[in-house]
Amino acid sequence: MAQFSQWALQYVLSDDEPAQLEITQKAAREIEASRASSTVVGNWAASVQQWMTPGFARDDDQVEDGDEGVSGDIIARAKALSFLADTLETLDRNTLKSDQVLRLIGFFGAMFSYDHKAGITASAKALRQLCAMKSFKPDMGVRVIDDVCKIREDFRLQTAATRLEIYELLLALIQDPSVSSELQHKYGASCGFAVELLQLCQHERDPRNLMIWFKILAILVKDYDPSPEVTEEIFKAFSAYFPISLRSSTTPIGITAEDLKEAVRGCFASHHRLATFTFPFLISKLDQGDAVTVAVKVDILKTIKACIEEYENPQASIVPHTEKIWNSLKYEVRNGEVKETIDATLEVLRAISRKLDGTKTHKLDVALLKSYIDLVFRDCRDDLANPTYTKQAGLLIMTVIGANIRGYVLYNAGLIDTIRQNLRQPKSPSHKRDLLLLLNSTLKTRMELSKQRKQGHPEDEETLRSESRAHLETLFHDAYLPIWAGKSKEMIAEESDVLKQVIQGFALLVSQQVLQSDGQAALLYPTPTCSEICSLLSLTLTNGLALSSNDSNAGEPDLEDEAVLALRNIVMSYRYGYEEISGRVTAEIRKRDWASPSAYSLNALKDLLSRFTFIGCSEIPSKIATNPPSQQPFSPLQHFLTLTASLLELFPLSSRLSTPHSTGNLEEGLANAHIVSSLHASLLWFLEACEAKYGREALASYSSSDQNWLEQFQHLPDDWLIQIRRGDADLLGTLVSLQQDDPEVYRQFLKLSLFNVRYLFRAASAGSRQTWSERALALLSQMSALVVRSLSEELQVSCNLAHEAFNFFAGPAEDSKRSASDIQTGILTVGILQGLRPRALAGLYQGVGVAEKHMCDTSGFGTSPSQESSVRAAIGVILANKYQGVSDPETSMMKRVLDFWANWYTEATASAPINSEAFSFHNTVAMNVIAGAVARQDRNVISVIPALQRAAASQHANGEIVARSMGILLQHNNLLTQENHAVVKRFYKQWAYSHLAKPLYEDALPGGKDNHTANRYRVVILSVVSNCPFTVYQDDLEPLIRLLVTALSDRGALSEGVSWTQVTSALQILVEILTNEPDALKGHLREIIGRTTKVYEECCQKKAGLAATLATCRNLALQVLGAIPTKFEERYTLPHAPPMQRMLAVACGDPVRKVREVARKARSNWAKVV
Amino acid sequence: MQNSDLENANPTILSVSQLPSRGRKGPATRQGPDSKCDSIVYPKRPWPYGSGSSSDEDVDETDGVEEPMDEQDIYDLISPISDPEHPHTLGQLSVVRLPDIHLSPSPAELPSPDSLVTVQVDLTPTINHCSLATVIGLAVRCRLEQTLPPNYRVDVRMKVGSHDQDDQVNKQLGDKERVAAALENDTLQRMLDKMLETCS
Repeated sequence: MAQFSQWALQYVLSDDEPAQLEITQKAAREIEASRASSTVVGNWAASVQQWMTPGFARDDDQVEDGDEGVSGDIIARAKALSFLADTLETLDRNTLKSDQVLRLIGFFGAMFSYDHKAGITASAKALRQLCAMKSFKPDMGVRVIDDVCKIREDFRLQTAATRLEIYELLLALIQDPSVSSELQHKYGASCGFAVELLQLCQHERDPRNLMIWFKILAILVKDYDPSPEVTEEIFKAFSAYFPISLRSSTTPIGITAEDLKEAVRGCFASHHRLATFTFPFLISKLDQGDAVTVAVKVDILKTIKACIEEYENPQASIVPHTEKIWNSLKYEVRNGEVKETIDATLEVLRAISRKLDGTKTHKLDVALLKSYIDLVFRDCRDDLANPTYTKQAGLLIMTVIGANIRGYVLYNAGLIDTIRQNLRQPKSPSHKRDLLLLLNSTLKTRMELSKQRKQGHPEDEETLRSESRAHLETLFHDAYLPIWAGKSKEMIAEESDVLKQVIQGFALLVSQQVLQSDGQAALLYPTPTCSEICSLLSLTLTNGLALSSNDSNAGEPDLEDEAVLALRNIVMSYRYGYEEISGRVTAEIRKRDWASPSAYSLNALKDLLSRFTFIGCSEIPSKIATNPPSQQPFSPLQHFLTLTASLLELFPLSSRLSTPHSTGNLEEGLANAHIVSSLHASLLWFLEACEAKYGREALASYSSSDQNWLEQFQHLPDDWLIQIRRGDADLLGTLVSLQQDDPEVYRQFLKLSLFNVRYLFRAASAGSRQTWSERALALLSQMSALVVRSLSEELQVSCNLAHEAFNFFAGPAEDSKRSASDIQTGILTVGILQGLRPRALAGLYQGVGVAEKHMCDTSGFGTSPSQESSVRAAIGVILANKYQGVSDPETSMMKRVLDFWANWYTEATASAPINSEAFSFHNTVAMNVIAGAVARQDRNVISVIPALQRAAASQHANGEIVARSMGILLQHNNLLTQENHAVVKRFYKQWAYSHLAKPLYEDALPGGKDNHTANRYRVVILSVVSNCPFTVYQDDLEPLIRLLVTALSDRGALSEGVSWTQVTSALQILVEILTNEPDALKGHLREIIGRTTKVYEECCQKKAGLAATLATCRNLALQVLGAIPTKFEERYTLPHAPPMQRMLAVACGDPVRKVREVARKARSNWAKVV
Repeated sequence: MQNSDLENANPTILSVSQLPSRGRKGPATRQGPDSKCDSIVYPKRPWPYGSGSSSDEDVDETDGVEEPMDEQDIYDLISPISDPEHPHTLGQLSVVRLPDIHLSPSPAELPSPDSLVTVQVDLTPTINHCSLATVIGLAVRCRLEQTLPPNYRVDVRMKVGSHDQDDQVNKQLGDKERVAAALENDTLQRMLDKMLETCS
């Protein structure tokens, strides 16, 4: 006893929650240890006696009038009761015995009658704990509710937190199934306790409490089967809150207005016995007219929808109200302007339609649905003839009809008939457009519904199968074709809209399917009609080619695009469609001579091929039976095959370039290049379609590491694809059996693509120079990169693609046939290497292998050294980057390669007279090879750096070239990207900067070393830094800015080209610093303004061959000058303002337009400095 | 301002796409559903290798090409000025029109970069008794003086017959001292600043 009293006292005196918890835990352990012996529990309960006695029996009034001592008592008493409640909370649920629980319930329950000031919070908490005890009996629950209700009027006076405790107690009891049945047994349908609760809680306003209160109300309606009178009372209790809103509060409570709305909505929708109250109430709210805001309207509509969806027994709960709902709602759509309310209204109407149809398992009497749709149809039919309301009426009808298959099948014929009648005498072009829109929408809905047929009631499929189709079959000739045929040449905007709808309609007609008796889908329209539609639309495609440049205005790009989309949709269901289009397109192209085409024809060819590709390859076709049934097997790849084969058949369009032996003119043979472009585009489109449909995992799911596709290809003729199309060769067995949902399609597509690449590579490497312009080769190279990089590593290895990068898929005996030049083969090599994963390249590095040979190539260049060196550089950068080194770097091949170049640099910049031009080209290759290793952070690079720095500083003229090109090591390179499987370390730029540039600062600054070295090192640093992000060199701003200032004025003994490159880099870096950390420049402002101005003035002089560089310099200089006033306070800039304004005014007359724009901006910035 | 207070409540407005611009002089690039991979399969620069393949993919080939100032440049400078009454630009309201801008001599034929060029802009007020014509003229003048190099002389006038009092307005706009005095006026200056806000 003494112990408990002591603890209780400690608890009451303590304000520290952890300490209180500890005390209650001790008390709880004590009770548990005694196994709840009556004495111990008694002692525990009696421990709070001293706080209870004085105030306990007092009347509340006395307490209220009492002095501080009494209110002190209240706090102490509340804490004492909390001691008991908290002990119960930590106590094991099984400890207390039934009679003890009952007695405690009695004790705490009594508080609700007597101690409204101090006892309620703790008692509610304690009662919640007691209700969760194992020996708690349902009848005790009834008693608790009775006790709680005794608080009556004082409930409102409790704090929100206390009320929350009580609500949670009530919710726990009402939710408890055993208490619930006890309550129902005791009170029956009259639900006396519920009435008392309603009285108790009727004025609640706290959002958190309301959330629970609404939950309690919903449970009362749903689970307690109250009498109509009580139901009405409950309905009144929650509907009084509707529409609910929440005042914004400074202290967030974690409940939003939307939560409250949902909770009230939950009450309305809790049970269909509320239907007689709900619908009239909500509709009366809605009919208040302008007084209702959009948000409230949407709330009402969502509530109605929730009720419709949740109420059971729709015949009794919904049917009696449908007419009233419809009459009230129809104007929201017919005359409404706010999208939200229109959408919410349509949702309600659709919900009714769905509900009246029945559920997946149980269909309702069709008469219910019929009478509802009749109601809507009757009201809207006349509106279809009125241009103002056609769209809205259509929307309403489609919403109720399109909600389920039964409704659609019953009414679509009638609707289409009405549309057709109106379409015969349209009131205006826009009326015609709206009618067509509606017609299209009925067709679209039909497609969607038949797609969903499997998810519904089995009866639905039967209904679809037996629907009448006569009205659909005549649509093409009756409705769409006459409008298409009657189109005029000079169209106004509205007519063009009408035609767009017709085009969409065509596509929808062809895509319509019917269910055959075997459950399979087949096209509704017979093949000849589909074919006719295809040919009508494909005429718009080939039109461009038939016109000349003078008629170019006759085309309607919008309509053409619409036709392209329509054709794409058509060929996805109508399997012969693409073949037909392909025939027409190739015939049109062949009709023309492509030896010397005009720019207009080339553009038309490009458009035609691009569209033709999109139509066939942007989606994967579905297998749908034709009417009559087709004899040919279906393959999801058939359109892709058709496209590839017909493009290959067309290639080459011209076999004669204007000047057969010229190199480097990239505009040659554009027609041929366009075909390669389309082949490339077809891969991009189909790849995207595959990825969208099957996901990337499709390739990982099935391993084919043991397969060598190339070996399989060797048994096939080169023109295998063309043969298949002509029907001369069979498809590979697998292709035929493929279904459109089988992920294997993705793999087979890649296989065909690889075949295609192989074919083109063989043709390009052996073929004539006249057919393959460099543009076409570069495109083919990019295309092969796309295919190769999509293949898995195993496949790249098993097909030995690394070998083919240099062999170009030639057979063993075919080597001699190769006639391509180094550039041509180089371009092709880059394509394959680019896409390979590092492990697939491993074979090339073994011994003194191909890779080493290519990376250390210092042989001479041919006729176009610039291009040759960039191709060699591209090969070098890939090979150096994808090298996977051996464990000991000393012996690695990469070390040999890098040492080779280190030596080469030393020799070439020593006294030996090496031609500067040749050196420069080899230097590009060397720098790229090293760049590949830098991106991988190869440790061997560190040993080359001293050689590079020595070479840059050497007295030889070539040193300057090395210094200038050092930036290549860090330059962004398209070949070094993740999608190309390159190895790019995250911080390689920081790494390279710290080794390459950072050690040179000291010697590069004036006075550091001899002038010559300083000049060269400065060029190196600026070249490197200008290719780094700001964060890399952020810490070295101080020396860097000094270098920049020097670079702007002191050109030293540098050649003109290099000196301007240096200035450009310096200005670029200045722009970066000004953007990121302008404060660093504060001390140098005068020099920077002065020297940049001088640079600008120098750049204004005309110099042959440097026009572009000088313009870039001027642009950058003005960017620097223009940014200064925006970054510094006026006290820094004011002295410079007058000369700057004069200079910038002159700069506004710069001969280059872009520079003028920058100058104007700078001028306005400086004009603000006053 | 209420609609009824506007001097011309219903001016004809051109949409932005109808205004003359340099961009549409060349062949337009088609943007259809099939154009998504155009940048890959019809690259602007068919030679993807070498140092040219650096990050600036949209390097303008015309960088460094000299394009002397022409009428379109002047039009681009003044057409975005806002009308003081309507929420539209002078270009949209056809107050400024490309054919009414004249450069003499044409900058392309200048003997030296410092020789004088006169820019003459004829404005067409939306109605012929527009009281804001002077303010509009002043704004055009200000804009040109702020953005053209010092060897350009600006002459802003009302197009002959487009305004009831074009003589007086022209005189006002041509008088340097009156222009300078007008710019001293705070209210007017604020109005001009507001009109020029839409110029980038």
